[in-house]
Amino acid sequence: MRKITVFVTAVICVVLFYFTFESAFDVYRASWQLPKESNQESQHNRLVLITQELDTPFWDKVSDGAKKQAEKEGVTLEVWGSYGNNQENFLEQIELAIYAKMDGIIVQGLDTDEFKELTKVKAASYGIPIITVANDVPSAESLRKTYIGSNQHLAGELIATQLIDDMGTTGEVILMLDSRREFYQEQRLKGIQDYLKDYSNIKLIEKTTEDTREQGIALTKDLLNRYPNVDAFIAVNSNFTADIIEEIERRSKVGPYHIYSFDDNRASLSLLKQGKLDGMIEQSPHKMGETSVMLMAEWLNNDTVPLDLDGYVTDIRMVKAIDVQ
Amino acid sequence: MNNIQKKIWLLAVVVLLIMASIWMSLTYYNQKMQDQYNNILERYLVMNELTRTSQEMVTALNSYLLIPVAENLESIDSSKKQIQEMKTKVVDFKNAENELALTSYINLIDSLIETTDRSLVFHSEDGTESARKAQNEATYISNYISEMTLTLIDTELKTYDLFYRGIINQSEELNELGIWVLLLITFLLLLYTYWFSIRITKPVEQLTRAASELSKGRFDLKIEVDSKDEIAFLAKMFEHMRNNINSLILEIQQKAQLENELQQSKLLLKESQLRSLQSQINPHFLFNTLNTVSKKAYLEGSEETSDLLVSVAGLLRYNLKHLDKTMTLYHEVTVLQQYINIQKARFTDRLTFHKEIDESCLHIEIPGLTLQPIVENAMIYAVEPSEEGGVIWFRVKDEGDRVTVEVEDNGPGMPKEKIQQIIDEEQQHDTMAGHASGIGLSNVVKRLRLFNGVEDVIKIEAKVGKGTKVSIHILKKRGS
Repeated sequence: MRKITVFVTAVICVVLFYFTFESAFDVYRASWQLPKESNQESQHNRLVLITQELDTPFWDKVSDGAKKQAEKEGVTLEVWGSYGNNQENFLEQIELAIYAKMDGIIVQGLDTDEFKELTKVKAASYGIPIITVANDVPSAESLRKTYIGSNQHLAGELIATQLIDDMGTTGEVILMLDSRREFYQEQRLKGIQDYLKDYSNIKLIEKTTEDTREQGIALTKDLLNRYPNVDAFIAVNSNFTADIIEEIERRSKVGPYHIYSFDDNRASLSLLKQGKLDGMIEQSPHKMGETSVMLMAEWLNNDTVPLDLDGYVTDIRMVKAIDVQ
Repeated sequence: MNNIQKKIWLLAVVVLLIMASIWMSLTYYNQKMQDQYNNILERYLVMNELTRTSQEMVTALNSYLLIPVAENLESIDSSKKQIQEMKTKVVDFKNAENELALTSYINLIDSLIETTDRSLVFHSEDGTESARKAQNEATYISNYISEMTLTLIDTELKTYDLFYRGIINQSEELNELGIWVLLLITFLLLLYTYWFSIRITKPVEQLTRAASELSKGRFDLKIEVDSKDEIAFLAKMFEHMRNNINSLILEIQQKAQLENELQQSKLLLKESQLRSLQSQINPHFLFNTLNTVSKKAYLEGSEETSDLLVSVAGLLRYNLKHLDKTMTLYHEVTVLQQYINIQKARFTDRLTFHKEIDESCLHIEIPGLTLQPIVENAMIYAVEPSEEGGVIWFRVKDEGDRVTVEVEDNGPGMPKEKIQQIIDEEQQHDTMAGHASGIGLSNVVKRLRLFNGVEDVIKIEAKVGKGTKVSIHILKKRGS
């Protein structure tokens, strides 16, 4: 009897001790975590990258490159922007960045008066340098420090070269632009025109419409009706690529048409892989991000003053459907 | 000194310490949590307040531009001051997660103040249009601030999500811990109390039991108490008392025994004396007559009769005189020889007496009239009833620490019951008659035992038809 009592007592003791310590350790482990104290004082330069098209593959790459470079340079970088070409929101972001006194703004160029007003007057009055990336706005109109991105004129020429290779020297070519006719699109158009002006047998048809899906499809429909013998499409604004192909597919095969576009649209690459798109200009978004941050940092540290107003060109190359497949 | 008071104090202090530590840790934890909550809440409140004040300032600016009175200007200034104050607070809210947003936020506030100032400056310089423009800008900025505040609070919520969960988790764990600690402490306290009470009550119980044993008169049980406190002291004293009582009782017992023995020996002596006095005629007259008869016989030429009468007279004198005295063995042997001489005259050839005596033992002391009754006994049973007579051997031997006297006969052998009677010191009335001294064997045995102080004094070996051998032992050094 006595032995049993002692045994039971010991067991209860051990059990109670075990659970008490276990739960004490739990309490100790479950200590709350406060957010880490800010260890970096605001002596870092604060940069912001603003784009109209967040969450597209192209801009993801740009911001990725920029972030990596920012880490290397020891500057802090935020990526702001609007979705789906929401211009109003986009301009507000720029305004906010200016009022928030960012040390540098890297922005996707937008060839509108509001944009120019903001960059020229407001940013300048707050003394904030602006670098355009991917899409340019003429320096004289925007007071941007420099431009980093593809040479759009050259891109147009590359497309034209490819077109001649594929189609030959005669044919009808439709060029689709959006109604805003932004600076970069003009550049591309000019590149194409410059290259093709010696080929008198090639007929260039430029059409503009609003940059929306419905309008793109409607225009394509209209063009196909009016020019049944068309040989090639060039989506100068790459957003139209998917619309063109969709509308053509509705009528006949895509194969006979030569369709070209640029890579700054999410649909381009997949269409190229499917073979529906014949060629695409591939730019270097990663490099753009990197270079823009690097140059901004250099400018802020007074390493490279002044920056080249003409801009820093990143690589472009023609990717043909055959290469991808 | 490990005493009961100390034990009680220890228990109380331990309980107090445990309770105090639990209370303190709980209070500390609660305080910490409260501080954290307050901190977080203050962040929200300050940011919210900032937004509100900035809007107020813009409104005040607007009013001032419309109606430029000092009152409006004052309200702008006070708002501005408040904003500045809150800005310094907001700067402290910085952490790794919201660093960038917060910097932007602070800069926005700066921009707001600058723009407001600019608007006021334009206004004072009569540039109404520019002032209006700057005021518009301030409105924008104020809007941005309120938007940014929302974003920041949203971020804060996300940032502190883990923190809140941590707090909730921890308080749950703490509750659980509380229950376990309560259980454990209760159990341990119960155990300790049990042990503690046992430590106090068990010795008391043992002491009580010992006391009741003592009161029943059992003084031989040792009092053992398993303790080290005051009870142990009590028990020690009790034990001491028991020992004292024990030794006192022993002493009393010994005295009583001694007294008893003394009484017995006195009684025996009285009895012997009484017996001898009963058979006593005027001894002097008898001695004188015997001496006269002896001389008469000698004169008449009967020398043998004369010697016999001298022996009878000596024997009688000895018997009457020395019954209550200690004699030497030598005297005893001499008187025995006289007795044999008389018997020889009576039995002539029928009695053969052999003696082997170690002369060195004769100085030893012995109660008077010890040997004669034994030899008389042999005479009565071995020689008297037999036609052919009998043989009696008398030996005195030195056996180290004692002297042994043997009396052996070749008679019919003493019956077993009789031997037992003698050893048990029972009175033998039937045999009393034949003894010259009137003293029986049992009397001899009793006196020898008292004299020697030990029980083992006599040995009787008897074989039916062959004879009896009676040995008595006298210790050279008496016990008591």
